Amino acid sequence: MQSTISIFKRSGVQKKRRPKVEDFQATMKLVLKNKVSLTGLIITSVYFILALMDYVYPQYLGAGPGVVTSMLRFNGGFLGQGFPSGPTLAKGWWYYLGTTYANIPLFPAILSALYIDLGYSLMIVLSGAVIGILIGTFSAYYGGFWDELMMRITDIFYSIPFLIMAIAFTTILSYSLAKAHAPINGFSLIAIALIIIWWPTYARLTRSITLSVKSSRFIEAAIASGSSKVRNVFTHVIPNVLSPVFVQISLDLGSIVLIFATVEYLGLGSVIKVTQYTPELGELISAGQTYLPVGIWWPVFVPGIFLLIFTVGVNILGDGMRDVLDPKMRR
Amino acid sequence: MELRYYIIRRFLILIPTLFGLVLLTFILLRAIPTSDLIASFISQKATAQERVIEKQQAIAYLGLNQPLPVQFLYYLNDIIHGNLGVMYTSFYTGPVMGGIERFLPYTLELSIATVILSILIAIPLGTYIGARPNSPSDAIGRIFSLGVYAMPIFWLALLAQIIFGKNIGIFGSYGLPISGEGYPTTTKVPWIVNNVSEPTHMLFVDALLHGNLTIAYSAFIHLILPVGVLTLSILAGLLRFIRAGMVDTANQEFVKTARAKGVPEKLVLRRHVRKNALLPSVTVIGLLMAGLLGGVVVIEYVFQLRGMGRLTLATITGLNIQFYGVAGTVLFFGIILMITNLIVDVVYAFLDPRIRY
Repeated sequence: MQSTISIFKRSGVQKKRRPKVEDFQATMKLVLKNKVSLTGLIITSVYFILALMDYVYPQYLGAGPGVVTSMLRFNGGFLGQGFPSGPTLAKGWWYYLGTTYANIPLFPAILSALYIDLGYSLMIVLSGAVIGILIGTFSAYYGGFWDELMMRITDIFYSIPFLIMAIAFTTILSYSLAKAHAPINGFSLIAIALIIIWWPTYARLTRSITLSVKSSRFIEAAIASGSSKVRNVFTHVIPNVLSPVFVQISLDLGSIVLIFATVEYLGLGSVIKVTQYTPELGELISAGQTYLPVGIWWPVFVPGIFLLIFTVGVNILGDGMRDVLDPKMRR
Repeated sequence: MELRYYIIRRFLILIPTLFGLVLLTFILLRAIPTSDLIASFISQKATAQERVIEKQQAIAYLGLNQPLPVQFLYYLNDIIHGNLGVMYTSFYTGPVMGGIERFLPYTLELSIATVILSILIAIPLGTYIGARPNSPSDAIGRIFSLGVYAMPIFWLALLAQIIFGKNIGIFGSYGLPISGEGYPTTTKVPWIVNNVSEPTHMLFVDALLHGNLTIAYSAFIHLILPVGVLTLSILAGLLRFIRAGMVDTANQEFVKTARAKGVPEKLVLRRHVRKNALLPSVTVIGLLMAGLLGGVVVIEYVFQLRGMGRLTLATITGLNIQFYGVAGTVLFFGIILMITNLIVDVVYAFLDPRIRY
């Protein structure tokens, strides 16, 4: 870690000091020095750019939710008209990856699925992190009963296999919300269920760091100068917690995308009635699976490859960031 | 601290968690509209009069005319007596506990085979890779771990079906066993009644017990793909962990001492490094079990096998959601995982006296 220190020192010489920005620049420099993490960053950014492009310019790239719906209507609905066709070059670049059920071109469907997958996964991880940080730091800082209660609650969440819990929460939530006619779509519903079961990871992580920060000198100094507990947590504890949480977020993003796709693949949250069909990667695979016995494999293979490359990229990036930001965790 | 006291303390920690788990399922059950909960107790064929009576019975049974804490006590009483409620699905109809009894053995067969296979592969492979950090074989192992870790397990299972099931055709088409779903319904064997084989409910074991090698072979062949996919998914984490343990241990002082006093390299690896490196791996088993129980659900769904995972999914398929099925399976999986973690902790404390303090 000699190099980190030297970079920090060098940046300290500059005229105008902006420590947070300099810290960030220094870490990014170190992360990008490693070619593997650079690849991870490139893959991740390409995916996010593709997903955003599809949202901003649905008419040029990707299909967008509305376009796919109209195509479904045009083709006579689900599983209606014949078999999906393989990759063709003649019909234009939409068809380069072949078509899936109801003859929807696979490529634009995947692009609009990426927007859903990435957007909701990012939302789940970020909201889980915010909730986890707040609960973890406050309960650990106040200690005693609250700390014990938080630990027991996280114990319960840790004692159920994640996928089982996701299934149960999604089902119960979707059922009760559908009964209440809540204006909510299936994706947001799964997202809410996953947030409910994802925050304990961050609460545990921040708790352990808070306990070590709590006894340090600068907290004592802050208390001595009359700073309140809430102020201490927000100004002194949380900034120290952020960088490990950031690493955890980048490592978790991959698994959350996979879990989101798995839950969709299993067809959960289907109680909510869908007015507008929006493709999602797991759902695309599940739909393409119908044609496996006939020997049509690309509707299953291609969305999976897109999923795989993204998770590999995010994981590589997360590993690289962990090595730089949190050398203690490195093995 | 003596081992005895450690075990007692560990048991005492289990109690609040178990209580919390039951509370969680209770909250899940009360999160749905009460009228729907009552409706799940009323039979479809009942006349109007019977409906009124059944409704009142259900209210009395659930304790709905009493405050929530008392309702929870009613629920707790049921759970303690092993009554997890009833479910009506096309997959299985009857008490949830009976469903667990019937479908658990198949899942056990799957999980046990997976655990054995993955340990058999992971220990030699992990020690081989861990003994040579930063070598080409280490790089391959790393890429493998990362690739499998990043793969959605259902996609992996589908690929396995495409490659082995359809094109090569060794393992039966799409992993479907002999006929029907899971059990040979058309095969006239006296020890298979109503799709359930006796006495252990595990087809492979039962066939061996009864000496029917044809069915045993078929059951074995159809276990290969699901077990293989599950093993792959577990192997990634296990390999990483064993490798890390090997590298950590190899840098310790006692290994240097052993080398300095002239112990042959093979013996150093086998006796000094591997033994100490595998010790912490015991703790991973708890984590792996969590992954395995989640993976089993997906694998059983993809391969259309009749086990606990399918039972779990059957409770939530379609509009006809079986609330007690959902709560019961969550409770069951939670208890299984808790017991696994308890055993892991006790075994680890037994093996490594340093952690009992």
